[in-house]
Amino acid sequence: MAMATSSSYPPPPPYYRLYKDYEKDPSSAPEPPPPIDGSYQLFGATYTTDVVLPSLEDQGVRQLYPKSPDIDFKKELRTLNRELQLHILELADILVERPSQYARRVEDISLIFKNLHHLLNSLRPHQARATLIHMLESQIQRRKQAIEDIKQ
Amino acid sequence: MDIISQLQEQLNEMAMLAVNTFGTLQRDAPPVRLSNNYPDPLNPTAAAAAAAANPNPDDPAAQPQPQPGAAAGAAPAQLQAQAALAQPVQAPPALDLDEHPKAMSHALVLAAKKFDALVAALPLSSEEDQLKRIKELQAENEVVGSELQKQLEAAELELKQVEVLFNEATDNCINLKKPD
Repeated sequence: MAMATSSSYPPPPPYYRLYKDYEKDPSSAPEPPPPIDGSYQLFGATYTTDVVLPSLEDQGVRQLYPKSPDIDFKKELRTLNRELQLHILELADILVERPSQYARRVEDISLIFKNLHHLLNSLRPHQARATLIHMLESQIQRRKQAIEDIKQ
Repeated sequence: MDIISQLQEQLNEMAMLAVNTFGTLQRDAPPVRLSNNYPDPLNPTAAAAAAAANPNPDDPAAQPQPQPGAAAGAAPAQLQAQAALAQPVQAPPALDLDEHPKAMSHALVLAAKKFDALVAALPLSSEEDQLKRIKELQAENEVVGSELQKQLEAAELELKQVEVLFNEATDNCINLKKPD
């Protein structure tokens, strides 16, 4: 079936007519719409403006490290690292002894990786705050320097 | 690169090393003898000769390849398979089978150690500490900002005064009047 040489796109929305007298009277044209808050639909998918890291249970992944308001990230990361090494060794053993049972071990390894990545992602807000602190400090430094320069 | 991204990269690297290790082992693993009824894939000619002649009961125990000793045929095929997988082959690719796993597992352990080192280098502090510090810094920023503003205004005033005097001096010079 031959495609049309000039495909017809939908016409642009007709809002441009409302801005006919914009140059003479800016208030006659409508204001731009306010930014969207909350959840919105885009091409049939729902998105949300609330940027928060979904917890592991939301993604259907078992959480291996203990859940508590403050987590000792270093300790948990190290523990999970040891678990990962052990599981890799276990996989090697299983491949030698009972090769048909590899699937369970591979699943375990991927679970550990998902947990590790989730832990690292949950460190990002902390990093954002640390960046803010650094920026404020450098701004204060610059202002003090400017005062010194003016005084001279 | 910031440390969290480094940690994530290190994690991906560990996954890649693990996958490469197992993949290489699977690719380079030699064929394995499953049953005494079939010829030994590792040593076809010796197997044929041994099968034709009477099997020698005192086969050298140091022989790494699983020889089809008919007297010792009671050994289950599984054990033989395990032994073949774990031991080096006497054929030319002997180097690969022994050195590669060592090098790869060494790399894996090194990557894990690097991950631990990066974790230790994490500058972590609690959330309340951070928020407190942010508030302090904001207050200090306000103070310094207002002082800067004052200094700026004083400097501008001085600049205006200097400008006025400069204009006066230039006028006097132009009109050749004595300065009073």
